Amino acid sequence: MKKLISVALAAAMTAAMAAPAMADGVDLTFFNSKMEIDDALKEEAAAYSEEFGVNMTDDYSSDTIAAHMATVYASGNPYVLSMVDAKDIYSMAPDHGLDLSGEDWVDKTTQAISIDGKVYGFPLCVEARGLIYNKTAIEDITGEEFKPEDYATREAFQGLIDKLKEGGMETPTGVMNEDWSLAGHYLPEVYETRDDVQGFVDQLYAGTADLANDERFNDLMDTFDILKENNYAKDEALTAAREDTEMMLAEGDIAFMFGGNWDWAVMNEYDPEGEYGMMPVPQENDTYNKMMVGGGSKYIFIDNTVSEEQQQAGKDFLNWLVNDEEGQDFLVNKCALVPAFTNNTLEVADPLGQSVKAYADANALVGNYNYLPDDHYSKCGAFFQKYLADEIDRAELAADVENYWKNTTPVTSSAEAATEGATE
Amino acid sequence: MNRNKMSYKTGQFLQFAGISTLLFCGVVIIPFIYGLYLTFTDWDGVSVKKALVGGSNYAAALKDMDFWASLGRTLIYSAIAVILINVIAFLLAYAVTRGMKGQNFFRAGFFVPNLIGGIVLGYIWQFVFNRALPKLFTGFPKLLGDPKGAMAALIIVSVWQYAGYMMLIYVAGFMSVSKSLMEAAQIDGCTQSQSTWYVVVPLMRSSFVQCLFLSITRCFMVYDVNLSLTGGDPYGSSVLAAMHVYNQAFTYRNFGVGQAQALILFVICAIVGVTQVYVGKKGEVSA
Repeated sequence: MKKLISVALAAAMTAAMAAPAMADGVDLTFFNSKMEIDDALKEEAAAYSEEFGVNMTDDYSSDTIAAHMATVYASGNPYVLSMVDAKDIYSMAPDHGLDLSGEDWVDKTTQAISIDGKVYGFPLCVEARGLIYNKTAIEDITGEEFKPEDYATREAFQGLIDKLKEGGMETPTGVMNEDWSLAGHYLPEVYETRDDVQGFVDQLYAGTADLANDERFNDLMDTFDILKENNYAKDEALTAAREDTEMMLAEGDIAFMFGGNWDWAVMNEYDPEGEYGMMPVPQENDTYNKMMVGGGSKYIFIDNTVSEEQQQAGKDFLNWLVNDEEGQDFLVNKCALVPAFTNNTLEVADPLGQSVKAYADANALVGNYNYLPDDHYSKCGAFFQKYLADEIDRAELAADVENYWKNTTPVTSSAEAATEGATE
Repeated sequence: MNRNKMSYKTGQFLQFAGISTLLFCGVVIIPFIYGLYLTFTDWDGVSVKKALVGGSNYAAALKDMDFWASLGRTLIYSAIAVILINVIAFLLAYAVTRGMKGQNFFRAGFFVPNLIGGIVLGYIWQFVFNRALPKLFTGFPKLLGDPKGAMAALIIVSVWQYAGYMMLIYVAGFMSVSKSLMEAAQIDGCTQSQSTWYVVVPLMRSSFVQCLFLSITRCFMVYDVNLSLTGGDPYGSSVLAAMHVYNQAFTYRNFGVGQAQALILFVICAIVGVTQVYVGKKGEVSA
């Protein structure tokens, strides 16, 4: 018996060693940092390998992207294609990325990232932040059609909230307490929704910005107060689980939550039968209450040290995503992403994505600011969480955020990078 | 053959310890030295260039108030957790060496939490603290939403995780004390508790030294439970030292500063650990 097992084990090991050698074609390794699409990507990698005679493998890590990439580069075995966040392109691509300026897809998007005139980052999709609403739940109570544009101002929005409460929905909103949501997504809108974004950030660094009296800050915080005041988990705002909040939104127990179209992956698990959508954060500013904040999200770069065949295979894959019908179908239907390329006209599958696409098509997206310091979301997130839990008031929050900026080393070359970035 | 010759000795050493020395150098010594080198560079983890920056990382590490705050938290957490772990482990060991019915079952049962990985443990307890307890007892405070509560939760979970493990070491200590010594003490007029206190416990000193060393170093270096149970929340009030070092190095991409802080943490840990073992061993009695 023992002998049998050892023979079987030895055979299994030999087979495992032989397996990679059996597949011919060049190795096309892909690093995926977007958990929602990993299953679809793994399936597609197998199909793509078969069709194009390459050996494509997909690897996902839930680790911080920078940490994972540090390990990969330390081991001297980089991926051919790496999917990272915009800020990672700025820090890694000049060293490790291949110049993709000559690719034909460059003209078909406004979201690619270039540094010093060279295109490095391929935008996987477009994502935007705003207020997610449950249309069905709202209409069930108000009895009239819900048109988000009617509630662009805070007064109108407050009126709707009151109406929902009168109609029996005691707590119409949910607030995600994660630091990346509060200070990675909501707070940055304070910086992003103005004419001179970099100028304001420079003032913050210099300590000359007066946040407490800033029109944008107060406008957005007044709306945040409405969300906070009507939060279903008001008394335990910091322990409410993201999944619960999204479930309640999906099932119509609450009507509004600040988030982004990526939240569909979670909401989709519950009650996808209702009607949902996204709208800009209601505010008094007439320009920004008609625009959502967003742009290219998740960027792919090709490593510049892998073999030429691998680089070519990488380029081919990116072209396939943009130009091939199957590639377009993969992005839009199998991954439920909003494409960043104008030639991809497929109907977006998920309702939140549809809203984002509508705003993107109408040129009503305010660009992401991609040069926030790496610790911004966690440090300012901690202040914002205190505000959410009523530990500090708005003036203290403003002071804390100002202090954070004052004591932070400016992100290098952010000023010149900002002028180069294509996310505007 | 001259057994005093250097070549002979080296040969013998290599035969017995060559591979392990090589491995030890490969996975401990060389990374340690490389890490030390990194503390003098401005590396961000992925860039090709590593410029030497002298001692500025150490200056930044020392000036980082969040680091000292996390270190202070770690000290408090470790002090409370170590005492509780050892007291409970000792009492459990005492209970399951009394010859009660089914004691092997209890030994196994108390040890099980230690077999569950820290990450999983954290998620299980997050569920317990956030959902199960408030559902079972209405009005039960949500510990994880409050800074003090989150620290208390961390301590509770650590005690639950390690008490069973330390219990096993104490059980071995109890078993190693010869019955004849107990009997001799009792013939000399000791009561049961006196013979435990004056005869068994002093003879178990090495168990105490081991358990204290293990629990102190583990508590100082805790990361997994911290990550999955509280994630440093609420508002960064439960970030312990190891997590701060990780964030500094990887999330904020200050590799050099993070590495320098890791080194400071290592030195503190080594001083505490070595002192404790030294003091403990000094008074050890052998039967």
